[in-house]
Amino acid sequence: MPSAIEAIEALATGFATTFKHLFRRPITEPYPEYKRPLPERSRARIVLTRDPDGQERCVACYLCSAVCPVSCISMQSVEREDGRRYAAWFRINFARCIYCGLCEEACPTAAIQLTPDFEHCERDILKMVAEKDDLLVDHCGKDTAYNFYKYAGVSTDVGDKGTHVKEDKPVNVKSNMP
Amino acid sequence: MTVLLGFLVLFAKLAVVLGVLLFLAAYLVWVERRFLGRLQVRLGPNRVGLFGLLQPLADAIKLITKEDTVPAEADRFIFLLAPAVVAVTALLMFAVVPFGPDITLGGHAIPMVISDINIGLLFVFALSSLGIYGVALGGWASNSKFSLLGGIRGAAQMISYELALGLSLVPIVMLARSFSLVDIVNAQSRIPFIVAQPVSFVIFLLSAMAESKRIPFDLPEAENELGAGFHTEYSGMRFGLFFIGEYVHMQVLGALIAVFFLGGWHGPFLPPAVWLLIKIILVALVMIWVRGTLPRLRYDQLMALGWKVLVPAALVNILVTGVLLV
Amino acid sequence: MPNLIIDDLPIEVEPGTKVIEAAERLGIIIPRFCFHPALGSVGACRVCAVKFLQGPFEGVQMSCMIDALDGMVISTTDAQAVDFRRHVIEWLMLNHPHDCPVCDEGGHCLLQDMTVAGGHCIRRYKGSKRTHHDQYLGPLLQHEMNRCIQCYRCSRYYQGFAGYKDLGVMRSAAQVYFGRQDDGVLQNPFSGNLADICPTGVYTDKPSRFKGRRWDFERTPSICINCSLGCNVTVSARHREVVRQEARFNDKINGHFICDRGRYGFAYVNAADRPRRAMVGGRPADIDDVLLEARSRLARTMAEFGPQSVAAVGPLRGSLETQAALAQLSEAAGWHSPAFYVDPKAAEIAAMATARLEDKFTVSLRGIEGADVILAVGSDPVNEAPMLALAMRQAVRRGGHAAVIDSRSPTLPFEHEYLPVAVFELDVAVGRLVNFLCEDVDTQQLPAHAAAFVDECRKLPDGRFDVYLQAIARRLLAARQPVVVCGSDIVEPATVALCADVVLLLHHMGIDGKLFYTLKSANAFGAARLGSPAANVASVLRSVERGTVKALVVVEKDLHSEFPDHERLKQALAQLDLLVVIHYLDISLASRADYFLPATTIYETGGLYLNQEGRLQTAPAAVAGGRPIQQTGGGAHPPRQYNRGIPGDTPQEAWRLLLQLCGEQPAREPLLHRLEDTFATPGALTGASPVPPEGMRVGHAVNGVAPFHHDWQAALARHEQLSRDGQMLLVTVAQTFGTEPLSCRSPWLEALTPPATVRMALETATQLQLAAGDQVVLDIKPQPLTLPVVIEIGMAANVLALPRVAPHRMARRHFLLTRNRIKKVDAP
Repeated sequence: MPSAIEAIEALATGFATTFKHLFRRPITEPYPEYKRPLPERSRARIVLTRDPDGQERCVACYLCSAVCPVSCISMQSVEREDGRRYAAWFRINFARCIYCGLCEEACPTAAIQLTPDFEHCERDILKMVAEKDDLLVDHCGKDTAYNFYKYAGVSTDVGDKGTHVKEDKPVNVKSNMP
Repeated sequence: MTVLLGFLVLFAKLAVVLGVLLFLAAYLVWVERRFLGRLQVRLGPNRVGLFGLLQPLADAIKLITKEDTVPAEADRFIFLLAPAVVAVTALLMFAVVPFGPDITLGGHAIPMVISDINIGLLFVFALSSLGIYGVALGGWASNSKFSLLGGIRGAAQMISYELALGLSLVPIVMLARSFSLVDIVNAQSRIPFIVAQPVSFVIFLLSAMAESKRIPFDLPEAENELGAGFHTEYSGMRFGLFFIGEYVHMQVLGALIAVFFLGGWHGPFLPPAVWLLIKIILVALVMIWVRGTLPRLRYDQLMALGWKVLVPAALVNILVTGVLLV
Repeated sequence: MPNLIIDDLPIEVEPGTKVIEAAERLGIIIPRFCFHPALGSVGACRVCAVKFLQGPFEGVQMSCMIDALDGMVISTTDAQAVDFRRHVIEWLMLNHPHDCPVCDEGGHCLLQDMTVAGGHCIRRYKGSKRTHHDQYLGPLLQHEMNRCIQCYRCSRYYQGFAGYKDLGVMRSAAQVYFGRQDDGVLQNPFSGNLADICPTGVYTDKPSRFKGRRWDFERTPSICINCSLGCNVTVSARHREVVRQEARFNDKINGHFICDRGRYGFAYVNAADRPRRAMVGGRPADIDDVLLEARSRLARTMAEFGPQSVAAVGPLRGSLETQAALAQLSEAAGWHSPAFYVDPKAAEIAAMATARLEDKFTVSLRGIEGADVILAVGSDPVNEAPMLALAMRQAVRRGGHAAVIDSRSPTLPFEHEYLPVAVFELDVAVGRLVNFLCEDVDTQQLPAHAAAFVDECRKLPDGRFDVYLQAIARRLLAARQPVVVCGSDIVEPATVALCADVVLLLHHMGIDGKLFYTLKSANAFGAARLGSPAANVASVLRSVERGTVKALVVVEKDLHSEFPDHERLKQALAQLDLLVVIHYLDISLASRADYFLPATTIYETGGLYLNQEGRLQTAPAAVAGGRPIQQTGGGAHPPRQYNRGIPGDTPQEAWRLLLQLCGEQPAREPLLHRLEDTFATPGALTGASPVPPEGMRVGHAVNGVAPFHHDWQAALARHEQLSRDGQMLLVTVAQTFGTEPLSCRSPWLEALTPPATVRMALETATQLQLAAGDQVVLDIKPQPLTLPVVIEIGMAANVLALPRVAPHRMARRHFLLTRNRIKKVDAP
């Protein structure tokens, strides 16, 4: 018998709760009229950012495409005359992307970043396939200072051997000095 | 001449009732979605028309224009027939529901009911039982495991609750001394039966919700287990027929509750038909409230409730009523 | 046999096995950078440390430096050892640059794997990094010295294993540098292996630089078909393009390494000008229509002129299936028997070599490493079959002795004795060698025909090299496992037979001699067995000119580059009623053919291949057919349209096209049966058991070629031809890079191809009044050649060597020239 009373009490509580909700202000935000300001780190449209000196950050290392759980990133790396590695083409299929952010996490040069801009639906699915030109932006995104080639130790336009951050001058292999 | 006039009046009544029923069914969907939304602190559909009032129209257009697919392995004839069975039986039940006292027009008394048959109550039960065929056959004809499971569940559930539904009304018949719904309403001209028969009311309400396959009794179409159950394979307007059937059923049950327990069209100040409408809508709102509050029962709980609680309680209720009446 | 316990698992190994190898056999891979099974241990990297718990050693020791001994109990997971290894990795990473994202090794880098596995992820060291300048090492390898972890694998391989001296170690301590004295192209034709053995990205593959990551490649085991050895490779493909080839271990053939010709000779598969559509009279058409039309034309020709009016020319380096299909169809339809060789002599040599290679003579390429005396006759391993040179070097490194009898003064990466003998004198020299071999042998004890042979050899006149030949004979007689290596490129058929006779004679004397022939190309063995020596391209062309052959089916044969007389070829082809060409490369013949059918390469459909030893290997398909995405996209973004088909996927296997051309079901099974019949190995190909990974020998010797049968009169006549008539012998010789037609399509190897020259000994040049650098006109057919003179110290007298490199890849092997046909061009 006590259990029956408890059950009725529980039912009553439930009905009371939903009834009270009737008079609460709905939490719904009417989307196109009101656009909630999204946090900087919310994950939507992917962009390719640039170095502080304006060069493409992406070195086409394939890590984002490797880590992508839905395989929506593909690219081809090539070498520029000055030694920089970059993407000859870079393609993200947003129709397939699940905006998990693993690519951003994997990116060693802070090139690929997710932005809060989520409004990019298209009626033609091929328009959801973004190429490098669509992805490249002309700012640094969240990391405003990092320049991969200042640390990498390879010779590029950013610097020759021994001129990067925390590097000694190259060894003169033909010297006899210890 | 009189016969011709009688037919004319009958057709007029049919047209009005059918129109009102379908219109109400459509707007009941809107009401349900808005009301449910508010219960869950949401807004509900508010995009099509003012307050989303044109939403039913949009839904109808969508359903009508959608492709009507029949699975390759389905039993085509029965598959196509099943939704109609559900919708038709639900609509037919309204034939015996009275929505006002007789009115006199040009010297002829016109009953405010499509057909006042003296076994109206049995007619309701008969049609309600036939409605199960739509569900069971639809589920079976789809030739899909989810649909079949849904159909079987539907059949079992409705047979179980039909019993309690019928038994709960025996005391009402005993009090009204008639199977005719008009007589039952007239018997409540002073006090509604809900006061005399609260237990019957509760049993009938629960069974009625189970009959209309609504949460918490929506096991035949349990979305998360069966993926819409008996109508998994249906699309377009055939799915729409199931949908209409369900909401017409909801109104019919609302009307029956009003007729059996809430005094039918009796009420002060307002016209009788309006009173009936108000009562139907009130019942519907309560059902929606229940849906917004309770989760779905487990299958064994459903069966236990039907056979171990409702049927015995109804039997005891009959006994007590009988003893008191004698 | 030592018994030891590693990580609680007991194992018994042969004495001399290192602990690291014993663990590997248990499936426990101990981290290593410097240890390599082919290079041995040096204990330089310190990362293979394990804890010795019991036995002769105690404590943390290097598992690559310690032989497995009885009673050892070892833990690889002991906390102390793990901690030691973690610290070693951290030290190794002190100077390692932060460039994994732009390093091509990333993804298959041993250092990267070990760093991650060892748990080192945060740099604690606050100091700066030591840096080095990189060097230009040629078109094949990219140098990035900052990444080095001083494991010494490269210098050990380069100088020790391969025997070349231009790359090595400089400086000491933290400044150790691996490279050349100055920038320059690596001289080692096996340098590509540096990319394989470097545990990090100091040497990376240049042709595939930045083409992709290992994990994106479809990697397939395959076989190299750029020479007759059949080395094993792993093909990496991406986006319908073969990107890279690496050495694949085969215990019987190439071991861990391959040569650069094999590694980089794949570019032809991706060639943009590869014909990928069927053509009628040079215009593209649907392949089914072309097949149907060609088939009816062929039938009409046969009905009109008889089946003998049809001839087929087949490939040497095609798959066995293709060769078998040609042989079978020719037989069934009554055509001329298929011609695989261009030069009748070459066909005769191949037939002789394959017929005489008895089972008891055979030695695998890897087996040569165990030889104690090697005699190479008419062979230039580095240029003809490069990996043979490395195998011979290993034998020499283990204390073996190598002697080379040749005309060309071959450059070999090991110490060897060299006798400069002109091509036409080789027979007599070998005859003299037989004479010295049997100095103390009583001929009565030999079988009659052997005795007669020895007697004939004893009658040969004395020669210039007798002293040396006598010494070689003594070594052979004292040898435990002598190997006679015989080339097939410049020698006469008689020389090939003589080498087999020498080995047979050794066997008669109780010495287990081995015989190793190199053939003209991959699957030359199959061609020799499936075709007849009488059928060759030269004879087919004669028949065409006579008008007896009206229809010609050319399968995967590049007649223009192999048959030098283009004018004659053109006229002969013009006389034909019907020319059907099946090929996978763009050859000028394709547009001239009445019907052209595109074929696939080994990379696209695989196939069965026989190496020079008669070892059968199978290669699966490595890349789906079709034009590479790099080409369809023009190097930019791949096209965005969705198509069901693959552009350019019309090509089919040549044998499939051939069978369809003759109206037969394109089924592989009957061809395999045919091959089983040819090689008398029932069930070897169609049976349930697959071809084993190291291949299996099916090319057994053929009865019917009599041993010890030699025409010494002819040999002596050839010998005297040079000295008596004062003629010069012009020999066309193979080059590592530039001769083999498939690898010639690789732009990277083109840069390594030597310029066309004519080489001669100083003495010959003096006779001809020539000096190094002079331009000389050689009056030869089909057209005279003008070439610069190069003096090659050590070449045989009266011999001019003409490398078969662009622009002229001669098919003919020898030209006898009187002196007046060799004229110096006066400087303008």
